Amino acid sequence: MWAYILRRLIWLPFLLLFVSSITFALGRYGPGDPVQVLLGQHYSPEVEQRIRAQLGLDRNVAVQYGIYMRDALRGDFGESYKYRGRSVSELLVKRIPVSAQLGLAALVISVGLGIPVGLFAALKQGTVWDTVAVAGALAGQSLPVFLTAPVLLLIFALKLKLLPTHGWGGFFDSRIIMPALVLGIPGIAIIARLTRASVLDVVGQDYIRTARAKGLPERLVRVRHILRNALVPVVTTLGFALAGLASGSFIVEGFFGIPGVGLLTVESLFARDYPVIMAVTLIGTTLFVLANLLVDLAYPFLDPRVRLGGGIVAR
Amino acid sequence: MHFRPLLLAALATLVLASCSGPKPSSAPSPTSVPSTSLQQEAAKPRGGRLVRLGSDPTTLDPQKASDTTAAAILVEVFGGLVTIDPDLNIVPDLAERWDISPDGLVYTFHLNPKAKFHDGRTVAAEDVRYSLDRAADPKTQSPVVDTYLGDIVGVKERLRGKAQTVSGLQVLDNQTIRITIDAPKSYFLAKLTYPTAFVVDRKNVESNPQGWFLRPNGTGPFKLAEYKLGDTLLLKANADYHLGAPYLDEAEFILGGGSAMLMYENDEIHVTGVGLADLERVKDPSNPLNKELQRAGPQFEIGYLGFNVKDPPFDDPKVRMAMNLAFDRQKIASKVLSDLVIPAKGILPPGFPGYNSAVQGYAYNPDKARQLLKESKYGANLAQLPPITLTMPGNLGASVGLDLEVILQAWKQELGINVEIQQTEWAIFLEDVNRRRFQMYELGWIADYPDPQDFLDVLFHSQSSNNHSNYSNPQVDQLLEQARVEPDQAKRYALYHQVEQLVLEDAPWVLLWHGSERYVLIKPEVQGYYLLPLIIPRLRYIYLTEQ
Repeated sequence: MWAYILRRLIWLPFLLLFVSSITFALGRYGPGDPVQVLLGQHYSPEVEQRIRAQLGLDRNVAVQYGIYMRDALRGDFGESYKYRGRSVSELLVKRIPVSAQLGLAALVISVGLGIPVGLFAALKQGTVWDTVAVAGALAGQSLPVFLTAPVLLLIFALKLKLLPTHGWGGFFDSRIIMPALVLGIPGIAIIARLTRASVLDVVGQDYIRTARAKGLPERLVRVRHILRNALVPVVTTLGFALAGLASGSFIVEGFFGIPGVGLLTVESLFARDYPVIMAVTLIGTTLFVLANLLVDLAYPFLDPRVRLGGGIVAR
Repeated sequence: MHFRPLLLAALATLVLASCSGPKPSSAPSPTSVPSTSLQQEAAKPRGGRLVRLGSDPTTLDPQKASDTTAAAILVEVFGGLVTIDPDLNIVPDLAERWDISPDGLVYTFHLNPKAKFHDGRTVAAEDVRYSLDRAADPKTQSPVVDTYLGDIVGVKERLRGKAQTVSGLQVLDNQTIRITIDAPKSYFLAKLTYPTAFVVDRKNVESNPQGWFLRPNGTGPFKLAEYKLGDTLLLKANADYHLGAPYLDEAEFILGGGSAMLMYENDEIHVTGVGLADLERVKDPSNPLNKELQRAGPQFEIGYLGFNVKDPPFDDPKVRMAMNLAFDRQKIASKVLSDLVIPAKGILPPGFPGYNSAVQGYAYNPDKARQLLKESKYGANLAQLPPITLTMPGNLGASVGLDLEVILQAWKQELGINVEIQQTEWAIFLEDVNRRRFQMYELGWIADYPDPQDFLDVLFHSQSSNNHSNYSNPQVDQLLEQARVEPDQAKRYALYHQVEQLVLEDAPWVLLWHGSERYVLIKPEVQGYYLLPLIIPRLRYIYLTEQ
């Protein structure tokens, strides 16, 4: 297993190199220019030249990339162009945990509600309960956050005065409830539908019939045999969700006044704040790889037929 | 301060639910201000905390600041030789008085002996010299030093690395500094009110060059007590402020965003701007919020559609004029924009120094518009009119404002001119507008300092980098150059009036609105909250009454 992890991680630096060079080149060669955004109405060709030289943007792009990677390897992601005088690490270090906690809370909601709803719908297949659950899931998935957010705010903050409208106090603060719900609702739907489909697939398998035939109580059949096997595709989706945790949600963070990384990312894209964009991309890539690895490591626990590094044994 | 991508601003308000809250808005008539009698002073209660929404300042280093968000905080924490009062006069701050040489080139500032840094040290002339020199130091990377301090002799050389000091700055003694400028420009003082010229403490800066501004030793009415990125920024009153201690104990800016209107109604903040979406509801007299609604005057800014006057069909002034006359500004402002804006008659916004109330602008006259179009060189065959594309900035797929749609319809119906709209993202838009690639574009201008030079010279001189329409009129250039150095204020303004008139006749722009005639909600316990069209140190005038 350790050898497998090592083998997977060896590829990470190469992937990062690939992703960073593409991101770097896209920024430098794409349209739009950080210096002109910075200068705004104070633009003049002369000032632009000067600031460009001061930021090192007048150099050969390959040289710029080399310098960037050298510094990044030492843990120095440079200074933001937009937030002048602030290091990128400083900008990100506090925001990533915020977005991660919010994302985790949303994930807990999605999983905590999605799996039971999906299981329930599958076991009641064909009944009115199934229809209601599936329709509800579809509706939940279709509702855009810019609708759910204001509606929740209207009900819970303005009318019922139960929850504050904005702000951040960490994972165990009441202010996380609404944004986590807004972020989590579409996830409930996705996970419920996946679970339902997957359970329906498993229920028809021979080993379920065998389990029942050998007189196993129905509760154990459901938990140990049906659910556990049905979770494999669900876990795969979770992997992607997990990777996206730290990238934050720009709209939800904006609505609820949460100092996360989503808003910063969008702002930095519009401002062509290359150092921030690069750092966010590199961190995102790393998290994605790690989350995928985590998911792969989870498979053998769910399905003993899966052997890491060996592929799936023939049935 | 930056261009106002008008749509962008509107969109930000929508999407982020006005997470920046009311930008320091404009003044109805900033009349009764601080020069109140002692009796009134005593009546103003001290203490309390004002809470409002804000945005993360892009920097808190005054010499690096270049936008309104940063400036609004910096003017409270730092100060310069001069400042602006709520009547928009240039008044003493760290300098208690100044003399100007007869030729208008040499300014001698005498410092106020009571002016102190937050740590109690008296401000010295060397502090001023250090700060201005720091702004011009290429290592500081100030994006706006050319605009605000470029008139000082030696700043350009220092910026280009050709000098180690700024030759136009001379410390005469501990309390006196002499600044020499390159031409007798009477707007020079106004420029010194911007953060670029604010005084910083060298020891403070050098103690931690990377992060000193998070623990700044300023000279302003408030001290920076706490700043949590993306979360809160807390200012505490400077009780020893040399121009009079603030009434408030604290001012808190919530930086994380949120829905300003909702937070206001939930009593979480004291002030909010009202967007078009909430306006009807709040304007209704039966709504309890209606009593708290205040209306601000126009901001010192203008929104317009620029023509590239070298591009057909806009190379003929008659086409440009016709398009200006073909729609009814007043009607659109009232019916479509709920009077949130003032239709622009001239370039300078009402209330701005040098504003000419006699300017009539472009009155709605479709007949004359049609006639002008017919007289133009394209008039013989309007079907052959080159296609017109209007480019506007719009991040996040901003939609076209209803006002623009109405104007486009008017052009189509009255003149038979079809204008296509193209939207590009702000960064790309800037790049192209700076290269003058657009045939027609939507843009705005916000005043950097209160002087007509900041509109007319910067936008219409043929050599100005902000003249995106390629407008060039030798007579206008000559008048502008004359006005730069005219010492007599009245004569100067008269020159600018002439310029404005000539520009209007040449019509390089479709004039739109003086923006942000904002509606603002202010809690009844908040007093002395001036709605001003410029950023000035305003928190110190605010006081909270018991409610």
